[in-house]
Amino acid sequence: MAGADSPSAALQRRDLCARGIRLAGKMRADVVDLLEAYAERQGLDASASVAAVEGVPAAAVERWDEQTGTQRLVENLAAYRAFRALLAQMLEEHREQLGEADAALGRALAAVLLQVSAFAYHLEELLRLESRGPPAEEEEEDEEEEEEADGPPPQPLGLFEQKLRGLGVLRELAQWAVRSARDLRQLAKPSPGSGSA
Amino acid sequence: GSLGHPQNLKCVTHNLHKMVCAWDVSSRRRHGQTDFCYTTKLWSLKQKRMKLSLVQTSLRERGFVFQLAKHPLIISQYRRGIVFLMFTPATPRILSLTPDFSTSTLSLKWSDSGSVFPYGLDAFWQIQVLRKETMEKVTEVTYHSKLTHEDIVLSWNWTSDLPLECMSHYVKIRCYINVTQFVGLKDWSDWSPVEVIHGKDTDPSGSGVFPLDTVVAVGSDVTFCCVHEEGQNITNMTYGSKPYPMIQLSSRSNAIRVLNASASDTSGTNVVCRFNNGMLEGTVLFVGYAPDTPQNLSCETPNFRIIKCTWKPGRPSGLYGKRRTKYSLFERTSGKNVSCEVNEMNRERVCGFPVMPDQKIYDFILGVSNPIGQTESSLLVDITQRVHPKTPEKLTVSGNNSTSVHLRWFINGSFAEIRLLCQIEISSGHSEEKLHNVSMRGGKLSAYTAQLNALHPYTKYQFRVRCSAADHFWRWSDWSRIEEYTTSEA
Repeated sequence: MAGADSPSAALQRRDLCARGIRLAGKMRADVVDLLEAYAERQGLDASASVAAVEGVPAAAVERWDEQTGTQRLVENLAAYRAFRALLAQMLEEHREQLGEADAALGRALAAVLLQVSAFAYHLEELLRLESRGPPAEEEEEDEEEEEEADGPPPQPLGLFEQKLRGLGVLRELAQWAVRSARDLRQLAKPSPGSGSA
Repeated sequence: GSLGHPQNLKCVTHNLHKMVCAWDVSSRRRHGQTDFCYTTKLWSLKQKRMKLSLVQTSLRERGFVFQLAKHPLIISQYRRGIVFLMFTPATPRILSLTPDFSTSTLSLKWSDSGSVFPYGLDAFWQIQVLRKETMEKVTEVTYHSKLTHEDIVLSWNWTSDLPLECMSHYVKIRCYINVTQFVGLKDWSDWSPVEVIHGKDTDPSGSGVFPLDTVVAVGSDVTFCCVHEEGQNITNMTYGSKPYPMIQLSSRSNAIRVLNASASDTSGTNVVCRFNNGMLEGTVLFVGYAPDTPQNLSCETPNFRIIKCTWKPGRPSGLYGKRRTKYSLFERTSGKNVSCEVNEMNRERVCGFPVMPDQKIYDFILGVSNPIGQTESSLLVDITQRVHPKTPEKLTVSGNNSTSVHLRWFINGSFAEIRLLCQIEISSGHSEEKLHNVSMRGGKLSAYTAQLNALHPYTKYQFRVRCSAADHFWRWSDWSRIEEYTTSEA
């Protein structure tokens, strides 16, 4: 982080971190409930092994202690932006496949998506406080250009693979909520060298 | 036969114009010559095969083959012989073999080469479907057609009980033509070369559970297969939560057979293939019902701008989202078609259709379909006899004198085509409710008025109004809100 904090900035950061930790805790509880309902409604075994889901950043990180505060925030923000897109896709697939038939699961998915979006915005606030500002979000076009460069669009997933991917996304999100709370606690520590750039 | 003489003479014609004769010559006399004589002509030949035109005139006389039999073909100066000319059609040509994996159907197209033959001959086509590299015969059918002196493309569809992805499928065809004017020997053509639709188990990176995300009717029997990569081992295959005995189809393909499938949950029934490395492959089966024929189809107009049709849907299909049952309303006179937005979760079914200018009679067909089936209901209706006005609004009461009042209200809609009948309910604390009927010309988005007399002075009254069509009563509107008014003192 840039230079020692002024008292007001440190206070503001601690406040944002505290609120972020509460948000992460609430999100985690809701994601765990959603995971259970999702597995049951999709006829899946909640403990089924799922290959790493493409586009889902792994919550597990090596040398967690050595990360700077900015690194933590940037990685968190990248993860929740990815989850926001993945959950939006899951919601769209839910509407396409089930329509009104499972409105409760649809509402629960939409609620978690809202929390993820709010948490991403919260992280952007924290990064703005670092007077560094959050990295710009990759525009949609960039991704399409990448796809064209990589050749024909991938084969659409079968429904069972879609279900498994959803399970993988929610599992990883629950892990991230735990990690985010730890990262924010680390950031909230008052020591001057705490995770500054 | 005697040493060195040509043996096993066979003459075959595929089209009654040309014939091909072929014979054997013993190896010790291979370089000699054969003299071949047919009708008045003589050929001296080195090869053992000869193509020549058939005598057309004699072909058209019933007795040609008999004549051939009596007038032997002179095979060579030293040997007389008799040959029975054989007719076999040319080997059929498969034009295309197209798989539809979603319905496990093979579509075969071939040309009947009918231009070669006279008009109206019966042709029989034998088609074989085979599986696996060992070409096990799965089915054989004989298909009949009439030749029409033109080359017609014929087609035949076959639905497999096994998903086409599960293993390779081969098809071949041969034909028999009943050439009535040729009484000689007739036989089937040769089999065509096989056409193949490769299974996923022949694709090095092919894997998955099939059929992929399909929809079937309740009570269906379904075969699923799990195709896996070389070296992977399946530990089990489950349908829903129940493991099923596996049938090995090939080294990379195992199947299970589910009988009499019951209705699936909203998100479908998972069919899962577990491997020894813990990974899963799967597909989803949706089991539901074809749509019931809609009952009590009824259409009415609230305002001569829109026609509202309602119906009873019958048994739920059990299919949701993009597989749900879809409704469309088609009107024959105008040719207009409207697709209906229906929420499959609530039982009420409503569809709106626009009132067409200068059209009173509507000939509706309500079309209903889902991936399992389709049906329809129809209704012929004169909308001037199906008027169900909206609730009267903005009822106001004003007094003329102590015993009469003036009521005014508004109905949303244009009823210029009909007369309206409105009913005013009059109630006051100390007498029974009275109903007063009044009819008037319908208007367009207009207000309506009525005068009530013989009221009691200085009395508090409650008024409300409802309306319907005067000439062809169909249904009352709902009652308006109550409006209170106290008559003035006498």
